[in-house]
Amino acid sequence: MATMTAQDFDAIKESVQAGNKNWIKVGMSTCGIAAGASNTYRALEDELTNQGQTTVSLRTCGCLGMCHAEPLVEVCIEGLPRVVYCNVTEDCAREIVRGHVMGRKLLQDHILAMHYEEAFS
Amino acid sequence: MSEKTVLLQDTTAGSTTGTHDFFGIFKAALRESNLADTVRLVRVADMGIYNQGVVMTILPEDITYANVEPNDIKRIIGVTLKHGNPVKDLLYQPKFRQMRLVLKNCGRLDPSSIDEYIAADGYRALLKVVEQQTPEQVIADLTASGLRGRGGGGYSTGLKWKFTREAAGDEKYMICNADEGDPGAYMDRSVLEGNPHSVIEGMLLAGYAIGATQGFFYIRAEYPLAIERVQKAIDQARERGLLGSNVLGSDFSMEIEIRLGAGAFVCGEETALIASIEGKRGTPVPRPPYPSVKGLWGMPTCINNVETLANVAPIILHGAEWFSGIGTKTSKGTKVFAVTGKVRNSGLVEVPMGTTLRDIVFEIGGGIASGKAFKAVQTGGPSGGVIPEKYLDTPVDYDNLQKLGSIMGSGGMIVMDEDDCMVDIAKFYITFCVEESCGKCAPCRIGGYQIMHILNGITEGRGTLEDLDRLILISRAMKMGSLCGLGQTAANPIISTLTYFEDEYREHIVNHRCPAGKCKALLKFSIIRHLCKRCGLCERACPEKAISGDREHGYSIDADKCTHCGVCFDVCKFSAVERV
Amino acid sequence: MIQATINRKPVTVPEGTTILEAARQVQVKIPTLCYHPDLPPTASCGICIVRLEGTKRMLRACCTPIEEGMKIITHDPEIVEVRRTVLELILSNHPNDCLKCGRNQSCELQNLAADFGIREELFTKFIGGNPKDDSTNAFVIEPDKCIHCGRCIEICQEIQGVWALSFLGRGFNSRFAPAAGQKLVDSPCVLCGQCASHCPTGAIFEKDDTLQVWQELQNPDTFCVVQIAPVVRVAIGEAFGMSAGTNVTGKLYTVLRRLGFNAVFDTSFAADVTIMEEASEFVERFVHKKGPLPLITSCCPSWVIYLEKQVPDMVEYFSSCKSPQQISGLLTKTYYAEKMNVDPSKIVVVSIMPCTSKKAELTRTEEMFASGYQDVDYSLTTRELARMIKQTGKDFANLPDSEPDHLLGDYTGAGVIFGTTGGVMEAALRSAYSFITKEKLGELEFEDIRGLDGVKELSIDVAGSKVNVAVAHGLGNVMSVMNRVREARDKGEPSPYDFIEVMACPGGCAGGGGQPYGVTDEIRAARAQGLYQDDREHEFRLSHENPCVQQLYKDFLGEPLSHKAHELLHTHYVKRTTG
Repeated sequence: MATMTAQDFDAIKESVQAGNKNWIKVGMSTCGIAAGASNTYRALEDELTNQGQTTVSLRTCGCLGMCHAEPLVEVCIEGLPRVVYCNVTEDCAREIVRGHVMGRKLLQDHILAMHYEEAFS
Repeated sequence: MSEKTVLLQDTTAGSTTGTHDFFGIFKAALRESNLADTVRLVRVADMGIYNQGVVMTILPEDITYANVEPNDIKRIIGVTLKHGNPVKDLLYQPKFRQMRLVLKNCGRLDPSSIDEYIAADGYRALLKVVEQQTPEQVIADLTASGLRGRGGGGYSTGLKWKFTREAAGDEKYMICNADEGDPGAYMDRSVLEGNPHSVIEGMLLAGYAIGATQGFFYIRAEYPLAIERVQKAIDQARERGLLGSNVLGSDFSMEIEIRLGAGAFVCGEETALIASIEGKRGTPVPRPPYPSVKGLWGMPTCINNVETLANVAPIILHGAEWFSGIGTKTSKGTKVFAVTGKVRNSGLVEVPMGTTLRDIVFEIGGGIASGKAFKAVQTGGPSGGVIPEKYLDTPVDYDNLQKLGSIMGSGGMIVMDEDDCMVDIAKFYITFCVEESCGKCAPCRIGGYQIMHILNGITEGRGTLEDLDRLILISRAMKMGSLCGLGQTAANPIISTLTYFEDEYREHIVNHRCPAGKCKALLKFSIIRHLCKRCGLCERACPEKAISGDREHGYSIDADKCTHCGVCFDVCKFSAVERV
Repeated sequence: MIQATINRKPVTVPEGTTILEAARQVQVKIPTLCYHPDLPPTASCGICIVRLEGTKRMLRACCTPIEEGMKIITHDPEIVEVRRTVLELILSNHPNDCLKCGRNQSCELQNLAADFGIREELFTKFIGGNPKDDSTNAFVIEPDKCIHCGRCIEICQEIQGVWALSFLGRGFNSRFAPAAGQKLVDSPCVLCGQCASHCPTGAIFEKDDTLQVWQELQNPDTFCVVQIAPVVRVAIGEAFGMSAGTNVTGKLYTVLRRLGFNAVFDTSFAADVTIMEEASEFVERFVHKKGPLPLITSCCPSWVIYLEKQVPDMVEYFSSCKSPQQISGLLTKTYYAEKMNVDPSKIVVVSIMPCTSKKAELTRTEEMFASGYQDVDYSLTTRELARMIKQTGKDFANLPDSEPDHLLGDYTGAGVIFGTTGGVMEAALRSAYSFITKEKLGELEFEDIRGLDGVKELSIDVAGSKVNVAVAHGLGNVMSVMNRVREARDKGEPSPYDFIEVMACPGGCAGGGGQPYGVTDEIRAARAQGLYQDDREHEFRLSHENPCVQQLYKDFLGEPLSHKAHELLHTHYVKRTTG
């Protein structure tokens, strides 16, 4: 294949960022999986299908560092703030789809709102 | 007016009703101000801020207030919610925050997507280096940055690369040490699982700098998910021409493959790791010669830890000066700690070097989960020591921790409270080292075993005061006579606990008592007569038939038959069994 | 040259010198335990630690090269205390069996314990409880006495390339054992004894046959005969304070008679007979094409075991001639018994060998009983004979010289140089040349195949044909030579060599597994020099010129390779997995 150039990198960046509108990310490293994230993922997948939701992409990611609060699910729906939910059981996962995604209402008592400093942007 | 979100929590320790109460008050206030439809009010589970009263974050402006009182609400509504401006005297002034450098993209990007890594500026450092920098320039950058090995050795990464580059050899090798054997440490695992490309890029940059054509990931076999994700990432990178022959079209070629560990902590030591890859028994050999001169198959080899490598691409992209601006004078950059134990928030924490232990344990960790008293924090795994309360304000860096008789190690940090017995902790760590010792050198092989034997004796009530002298004698012999770091540091937990908690040892030996209530053999159980309801549940539960009595006379425990299992203590519904 | 200081005194040494070696310049012998000058350091015991002055940093003196400007302190109160603690730890894992142990008075651990003044057992004793292994006829392994120095494994794996021994398990439970935990007799072990001769303690020890030999000597019904191997005469003196290479042949004859042997023979005589047979074998193959080339020597029993276990496809090249030990015993119970009218059923033959696998050779095949009795009854190592002599209190160093029984005791210079690597080849060439050309070689000494290089080669002209020979010693060096032969054979090409000598032990028998402890290359060379000197001082330096050998053939064997010679003096080889 042709050697990648800076322009290729830029193009990939643009394409990835363009796709990032509505998504749900489930933390699926060992800490998450040990806490039940696989079930959480399946519940989300199932409920999204139940609700006929096709524009929200369900993805996986690594460990956010708050392992005591796994399973962690980050939700980004256009027009709503991006939030991380903690201790997301299967029931809670379904509630996320119904309440947050479909009903556009953030869930109470489940958000992790940690603030970090980003070492670089 | 655009929609706003208010995230809310009462962070006073042990207060959940506080959040609900304030929530109610605020909601009412919003309704009064006709903002109920445009302001989203959400109670959160955790703000990451503790003991600052009611804390709230207002989005999208990302303004955070602390110690908010009900009569502040009016101002908040008027200034911030209506006009988007901060109320300055309410602003939360964080002393410090976690700084995401190594973990920046962990939990953000999909580890199985190379595109997401590239979109996060991944492989740009590699492109920059092969197009614009010589290997010597790369090494100069790394050295100027002050990056030190994150696996525990703390050796200057730039210097190690320099020596490997300068050494003579037909082939040079780059090894990523992902053996991560310290109990309680899993930072490397998370980075490999969450952002494997960041480490691959670091390996390629290192290989370019030292002149290596072959790299190895030495991953412990107990990390199957990390192995899977790293292999996938290697394959993806090769597919895109970022790895293999003529990286990004340049003259630089480097292959990378994975080699598995096989359950030996000692193979995290450089020379034992090399022996393991060569197919030999994983035992260390004396240094010098150092691996950078004579390593894998006799060739110059550079071994770097996962976290060290994950720092390399950001340093190349953002500059040595940026990196050395973070941290302390002698320890630059950030460090990822795995904070576990009796702490409320266990997990991975990344902070600039120089953050105090108190901040890590209490500010980020949220303090002791059970609400009991803090006793010590253990750093550096089996090679480290315990740090008691009076030193909690120590800024964390390589040198400070060493002065306290501990080490940074790979970043394990285990928080202990009053229920943890320091003798038991020392016993745990030496038992680990005895199991993991390769057995080659006498000081570690026999010394560790003897220490374990002595500590077993002390925790079972058979210790003597001469044992304390023996512990010191053997510890010194292990420290000075062992062939490798495992043996040399295995006695650190013993020396450290003896230094700070000697009276706890004496209590075990002289009074046959374990103050923390941990050492089962020393626990004494008795029935508190005035609390005992004479139900007989304990008698039935006792596996040794050591409890006798009846409804009329009450029950008592025969101390000679008691094996200190504690079942009676557990089953009594009236807390009538005393345990001392 | 490197300049450094040790104990604040200056030292100047070549680059690469270890701290241990450099310390000799300031008259310091840093205590060591696992270190052996003959082997690369394993660096395991931790006794030799020294300090980088002014720091807390410790270095192992045995393996750390001294660097420019280094400041070393070899002992201070803390260092001595640490060494003592390490020693006490090792002792806490070692049985208190000194008084019953074969290494009593020659044990390196015992010496250190004495030097450090150990007076109490500071730590709880933990002994492994591992079983003894005496499955071979040559050794007893007692794993509980092992101090994990790693010398035996280093030599068996890296130097001999046999890989019969290894460390098994990990940590406190690690132990040295035959490969895969088998019994030694089932492992690849070739009984060369390099492990035993390098072991610092009694963990591997030769099977002691001296008690039985004493009983035979005291038995009025037996006729005890002894034969002495070539190299014993230049090595046994070391056990009595003499330097390596001192020739004590005459004293040996005397002391053996005084021990009670009825006849004293010399294996070097039998070596001459071996040459008669083997040189003739070579002529058969080289001149008359009556067998494949190369001819490979077979007098080293460890080499025979190695061949049978590891390279059985090369059996056809092996000389069928027995070893001098077996030939001597065989001739004693037939030729000598006939001539001197002694009842062979009463003869007990004892050999003194630098070798441990000779003990197993005694019963190798039924051919070792060709006399109708066991040809050689006992084989003692040099060390065992030294102990026997000490038990009698004889002042060995001051004994007068005497002569052997000439019938099987007179030897030529060619016979005695068997004891060093290259010696068998030299002896064979000297005679083979004469057999082929009917002339005597002008120059009898072949420098090219002397010395301690692992593989030595030589090409000589014999009546217009080139004879290419190779000499290998130390089993680790043998495979490369064998592979060259195999390669040529597989391609159908002529062999690169016509005649090959193999000795399993580094240095040949001079470095044999039964020799006095503490061997180094210097000592191997000194012992070899002793033998070459003996050769030069002999009137007869070619085996076939030995009058006693000529008489033997005239009166008894007829001719080399005669039917009788074949029956009595030759053997055969089989593929083996055990033994």
